[in-house]
Amino acid sequence: MNTVKTKQTGILSVALIGFLVSAGLVLDNLAQYGHAALNTNNLGISWGFPIVVYDYFLLTSTGLAMLASLAIVFGGETFRPVIKRAVWLALAGLAGGVAVLFLELGHPLRALWAIPFSFAFSSPLYWKVMCVSFYVLSLLILMARMLKSHWTIAELRINGIVTLVLALGVTSIAGVVYGSQSFRPFWASGDIPIAFIFESLLGGLAFIFFFTYLAYAFNPAALPTGVKRLFTGPLPRLLALAIFVHLLFVLARMASGLYGNLEGLQVWHHVATSPLFYAEILLGLVLPLVLLMRPGTRNNPWVQMLASFLVMNALLVSRYEYILGGQLVPMFKGAWAPALLSYFPSPTEWLMLLIAIFLSNTFNALGELFLGLSSEGDPSARVEPEPLGAQWGEGGERLAS
Amino acid sequence: MAKWGMVIDLDKCTGCQACTTACSMENNRLPGENWQDVLFYHEGTYPNVKLMWFPRPCMHCENPSCVSVCPTKATYKDPHGGFVLMDWNRCIGCKYCQVACPYGVRFYVDEKAPVQPDIRTVFPSADGRVWDPPYRGPQDDPGRGIGIQPHGVVSKCTFCYHRVSKAPAGIADLDEDIPALKEYVPACVRTCAPKARFFGDLDNPESTVNKLIADKSGVRLKDETGNKPQVYYLSGGAAASVPSLRSMTPSDPA
Ligand code: SF4
Ligand code: SF4
Ligand code: SF4
Repeated sequence: MNTVKTKQTGILSVALIGFLVSAGLVLDNLAQYGHAALNTNNLGISWGFPIVVYDYFLLTSTGLAMLASLAIVFGGETFRPVIKRAVWLALAGLAGGVAVLFLELGHPLRALWAIPFSFAFSSPLYWKVMCVSFYVLSLLILMARMLKSHWTIAELRINGIVTLVLALGVTSIAGVVYGSQSFRPFWASGDIPIAFIFESLLGGLAFIFFFTYLAYAFNPAALPTGVKRLFTGPLPRLLALAIFVHLLFVLARMASGLYGNLEGLQVWHHVATSPLFYAEILLGLVLPLVLLMRPGTRNNPWVQMLASFLVMNALLVSRYEYILGGQLVPMFKGAWAPALLSYFPSPTEWLMLLIAIFLSNTFNALGELFLGLSSEGDPSARVEPEPLGAQWGEGGERLAS
Repeated sequence: MAKWGMVIDLDKCTGCQACTTACSMENNRLPGENWQDVLFYHEGTYPNVKLMWFPRPCMHCENPSCVSVCPTKATYKDPHGGFVLMDWNRCIGCKYCQVACPYGVRFYVDEKAPVQPDIRTVFPSADGRVWDPPYRGPQDDPGRGIGIQPHGVVSKCTFCYHRVSKAPAGIADLDEDIPALKEYVPACVRTCAPKARFFGDLDNPESTVNKLIADKSGVRLKDETGNKPQVYYLSGGAAASVPSLRSMTPSDPA
């Protein structure tokens, strides 16, 4: 067994043990106290940290799926080294998120039949669940087709397009769930689905950097040539661009929130002055952006590991602030809540985050060990990528291909 | 078919919470989880401060956002009477309806007890319900969210469906002062000592509720949400008043 495989086995063991311990503790707490083990309440905090975790993992999953399918549909051979890993990570992340959702729902098993057979066409959640079901199916088909040793990007194209449409669908419907709550102005806005799509893409990019390095036990020298070419080529630039766009969305919402008079937007004064928000913006987004924009640091593997790790954390904070922020202002005076509502995750809710992390990592390590996520398909099927810009002449004119 | 509505005259309401208590007894509510509540608050700053209150049941909206978001159709609008009800056999406890209700009148049954001791552990249920109160109302209709709720679901005011739905057809108003009708009157309306609450058919132009809304410029809470409550509030009654909606819509022509 080579070193990388040994380390993956180590990761699998740690993740599996972590999952079993955290799941055991959570199930024990839920058996004892029911959902009173969570810090949600009937005063106005209906969706707490478990929903934050679920949404975070779901949107990361769709981001990874978008990355993989965009690579298949538009990216071509340059992106081949990360496609398979991104697809499997999308499935692994989703498993972690859905596990937490099932622990949060009052009747998770009932949901399995009650939602699909309700035909509740007016509910965004109905469409979200239906879309997620087909999305999982599409990812599984994609993964299955990449398990054989010969696969070409061309033969995955139709699958890629379907996956892309479904991933965009899931992400935008997730945005509509919040964006349509017009009486919660902190959430509501027509462009929330678009913001969710960019946020997902950012998550997908950060995760693919981090988990590719993890696959090679954080040893940059072990990266295959194709991955190195990608990680020193377009991918870090894309990550920087995605950070920049997400930052724009957050800061634009903050500016209109701070200056807006609408009832409910007052929460921005609370959010934008919290240390967590500063940490998210400065450490989680601005620092990685600067590091990735500087040519001297952009291609440094350690910088990329750090940047992706910081972004992954910033996105969790961002999701927390968004979901909770929309619920902190009481609906109207006298709801037995004279000021902003308060909320902090309970120990059980923190453990649910660990469940999602460990379960996703278990699946991911299994994939690394048994599904050959590093394999890029049949090298003979590969077409060497054209250098970027090769199809353009000196003066910018398009050369005949 | 009637479209039942409630009118609450804020000029008469004394904030006594008799409605809250009556609702709790009638519907076996958990302490502190009041389908009907009187919300106390203050306006102004010392020394010009005023204690105020506001009685609030579910609005049984004409265009209920809780219904449109429910992914299982567990919460639904009954076409016969306009009640917004819950089917506890379909609810998955996702709480989307709670998030989507602008009036904060929905309750997830398994939250931490707002009042100690936790009555659910004092009177535990043997049949899978949330608790087994020492006094238990006879009505039990989980498909309409009536009775002692099971775990993992959301509950809300039913407009006392178990009473109102038995009223003789064609009745304009359910008035507790008419002996033949008093058993059909919602518990919170029937108990209201200063008679601040009225219950009747909003589709019947002759109903007292409609006359009160017209005469005293009834308004609906948070009308800007478009939910169109079937609960109206009276306050003042001058002809000059605050318009409730920004514009006319086809379903609300006046
Ligand atoms: S007040 Fe809330 S729970 Fe009641 S019908 Fe309207 S939206 Fe639904
Ligand atoms: S909690 Fe129940 S009633 Fe409310 S939206 Fe979810 S399934 Fe529907
Ligand atoms: S109508 Fe019935 S259920 Fe609704 S608040 Fe009044 S007493 Fe309670």
